[in-house]
Amino acid sequence: MKLMTCPINGQRPISEFFYGGELRPMPDPATADDATWADYIFNQNNVPGLKQEWWCHTPSNTWFIAERHTLTDEIQRTYLYGSQVLEEVSP
Amino acid sequence: MMRASPVQDCLSSSATRRDINGMSTVWSTPEDLQGDTLGLCDRSCLTRWGVKGAGAAAWLTALGLPVPQHPNQWCALPEDGLIARLGTTEFLIEDGWEGAIAPQLAQQMANLPSKVYPVLRQDLAIALTGCAVPDLLRQTCSVNFQALDLTEQPVILTSMIGVSVVVIPGDRAGRPFYRIWCDGTFGVYLWQTLVTIAQDLGGGPIGAAYLYDLELGR
Repeated sequence: MKLMTCPINGQRPISEFFYGGELRPMPDPATADDATWADYIFNQNNVPGLKQEWWCHTPSNTWFIAERHTLTDEIQRTYLYGSQVLEEVSP
Repeated sequence: MMRASPVQDCLSSSATRRDINGMSTVWSTPEDLQGDTLGLCDRSCLTRWGVKGAGAAAWLTALGLPVPQHPNQWCALPEDGLIARLGTTEFLIEDGWEGAIAPQLAQQMANLPSKVYPVLRQDLAIALTGCAVPDLLRQTCSVNFQALDLTEQPVILTSMIGVSVVVIPGDRAGRPFYRIWCDGTFGVYLWQTLVTIAQDLGGGPIGAAYLYDLELGR
């Protein structure tokens, strides 16, 4: 069974979680030009590597950040957004 | 005001019923003794209320209610009932058979301070009791409840046969006693599935009188 650790609820089967996409800094919609905004909306960085991702523990609706290596599917750590300094890990 | 259980249509029509908090509730059935093995009881009739927000814990404390210090922990209310901390900033307050705090809190809905928000709770609330409860849980849920320390009064938010549930494990009279809540719209599916499994294990639905005696130690 594949397991993931929710920062609040502990280790649970992956079926209790929902993937919410990669954590990416959002450009300021008031000042960003169209090209920058379109790049943010439509383009994803699919280079395999260690990514910060949004995940949700669905029974408790707890959203948190998981650092997951998208090539090996290894989850390095999970934590609540804002509880740790977010480091740039994407290539 | 009349209330209806989410599983009203699934409950035995031949059982003895009693009106509890405005809800017609199965009070006793001829099969109540199967609660010693594995009983499922609909306890949706108990009054409950929810509150969430960054100011919820402080507001409850100001009202003089005990507030669990840690996420996913519960504590007993002074009268009869419980308050469960769901995550960091959400609380479920449920009265016991002789408590009446939840309706009093609900009346204050119009006067809530900032960062305190009401949560309507129209749950299916059930209890599982009997020595075969762990067997049923092993078939329906991925959490190892046997590994929990009940003295820490844990609250488990997990998935049971695909339905998000809140579970408070415990014991009464030396036998497992688990309280479970889920969204009322999933109630019929959860109830019917659990009843089917319970019947395979030698149990089935029981009346609230069994729980009333068990929870109040009579």
